[in-house]
Amino acid sequence: MHDSENPRESIEEFGARADTWLSTSIPPRWKSERGALSTSESDAIRRDWDRTLSEAGFAGLSLPKEFGGQGMGLAEEVAFHVLAAKAQAPDGLARIGKILTAPLLVRFGTVAQQARYLPKILNGEEIWCQGFSEPTAGSDLASIASRATRVSGGYHIRGRKTWTSFVQHADRCLMLVQTDEQAPRYKNLSLFLVDMRQAGVTVDDIRQISGAVHFAEVQFTDVFVSDDDRVGADGEGWKLAMSILSDERGGAEAATRYVEIRSDIDALLETCGDRPDLAAELSALDIRAEALRWHLSKVVDLEGEQGEAFLRAVSVLKVVWSELWQDVTRAGWRAGNPDDREHWRFQYLESRSASIYSGTNEIQRNIMAERVLGLPR
Amino acid sequence: MNVNAVPSSTVGEIGLMAAEAVRELALKATGGSKISTYVEGPSPLAWNELVEGGWDLAGIVENGEGATRRDLVEIAIAWGEQLIPLPFMLTIVAKRHSPASLETDAPLTMALPIVSLPSGRSYLPFGQLDGILLVRDPGGSTDGVHSIPAGQADDLALSLHGIEADEISALSPQVARDVAIVLVAECVGGARQLLADGVSFVGTREQFGQPIGSFQAIKHHLANALIAVELAESTTIWASVDDTVSAAVLLFAVDQCIKTAEIVVQVHGGLGFTWEMGLHFYLRHMMMVREMVPGLIQLATIE
Repeated sequence: MHDSENPRESIEEFGARADTWLSTSIPPRWKSERGALSTSESDAIRRDWDRTLSEAGFAGLSLPKEFGGQGMGLAEEVAFHVLAAKAQAPDGLARIGKILTAPLLVRFGTVAQQARYLPKILNGEEIWCQGFSEPTAGSDLASIASRATRVSGGYHIRGRKTWTSFVQHADRCLMLVQTDEQAPRYKNLSLFLVDMRQAGVTVDDIRQISGAVHFAEVQFTDVFVSDDDRVGADGEGWKLAMSILSDERGGAEAATRYVEIRSDIDALLETCGDRPDLAAELSALDIRAEALRWHLSKVVDLEGEQGEAFLRAVSVLKVVWSELWQDVTRAGWRAGNPDDREHWRFQYLESRSASIYSGTNEIQRNIMAERVLGLPR
Repeated sequence: MNVNAVPSSTVGEIGLMAAEAVRELALKATGGSKISTYVEGPSPLAWNELVEGGWDLAGIVENGEGATRRDLVEIAIAWGEQLIPLPFMLTIVAKRHSPASLETDAPLTMALPIVSLPSGRSYLPFGQLDGILLVRDPGGSTDGVHSIPAGQADDLALSLHGIEADEISALSPQVARDVAIVLVAECVGGARQLLADGVSFVGTREQFGQPIGSFQAIKHHLANALIAVELAESTTIWASVDDTVSAAVLLFAVDQCIKTAEIVVQVHGGLGFTWEMGLHFYLRHMMMVREMVPGLIQLATIE
């Protein structure tokens, strides 16, 4: 707004401001009693956190100012994720809205959609989930079978979505659905902003091998969505969905993961650092974690150029952190330290999912080979 | 407050400019010819071209102004791509630290420690080169430059034209660290070039009626090579801005380069293990650097 009088703060200044704010703003109960909180208490804190972030000007850091964001870049986004993770800030419930719906609407939404949805995404008032994967459409995402059929003023959606996070809180779903049975693959899908608070939506939790429940399967039975809540034209769904999946959200995610991995390695070094039988393995994991941190730093430095070097660097992040995390949890579990065996048993089982969700590591490698290195399809 | 969670590792103007210049000089000199046609013989690039451009002085720091170690990394990566058999990076490091070495335009080398060699014996990269001189005390004293002692040719890293000799250079910690890091950075450049060669080969080589690069097994090999090259580069950048990194960190970077070479040999099939294809020149160079890193970092961490 008054940028000439108020020059953009440096990344160091931003970091200092964010760190100071975090040190006084994280609810004490989240840090001290986290394990003892009931689900509803924990959910309430997470929901409050989204609002708190927004009020303090830390929501939508890399979204343009005219859309309610802070107009900053990947560097600030990554720095904030690292600092928040280090400070053990709660993870809000608004993540899907912030990383998927908001950037999508900024680029492709109508003015009415932007006005209706963006403010409530950023202040945490409306929680979003993502309806892309289906029981029969995993890595082959384009083979989506959910169907939207024309009704007066909009569509009726029928189908089943899976691996849906945040669905128990969700007000809205960003949903990829088939709108044209006859159209060729990739041109038969459309993208909708679906109201989850209506009859016809049923949710079944999915229990993971660790015992945790992070995902659900959702059945949609003749669920209505209006024409106003379609993003882009009929048949443009695939194109729009790919453009937001392949953007740079990987940087912020990897930053959070780095901090979690770092803290797991530190715990391991503290309990087993003096064991000669583990020295080489722990040293190698330590170096890989710091290599990830410096790699992330390179990604941030290259962001402005957005050239080939940036694409190469950002494309490897997910495989690097997920496989490192799996190796760390395996080492932790095998180390067999009696004081934290429950933690490592759980983490080991939990980490198996990391090379599968968000695009399996096989799909990630295909993307590196085809889109980054340019190998023939 | 600690934003060093996201440390900056931006390269400076000097690094970018010199890297671009030496990359162009090297490419012009080789004219795209196969590495096996020049790496064992005399350099296709005349030493004078580097000197006339003043590029041998790219590492000099005066009154606190000049190239950082991060800049040296950028230059060394570019230089490492074509494996030109000249002691360019060693000369840059010598002239960065030793005033005496500024008095000559000749290519320079140092006697570098290798842990597995007997005490008192060192490895002198490019010791077989005509006209090359030895810097015995690159830590900055007034000791001048010397002729190369008699020694025994080492035939592992043919691109390095080195010898083993009973000779020791007094490497200061700063010099030892600079040398270790630029040697590793050269390997990163080599790995980057190998990956590009691998990608280009699998795009044209056909089996079962299609380019082998369309097979997922090959794609995943090369994706792993991309990961290795990226991590090697990031780790080398880390080593260039953090004075405390251990030999293990640099060895991790070299090992990522070696992993890349192994993958690229593999995807070349039978051609990959032929002498003539030339992939081994890079691999041998990396193997030699891996042997040198522990001794250099030992010197770099002595108070």
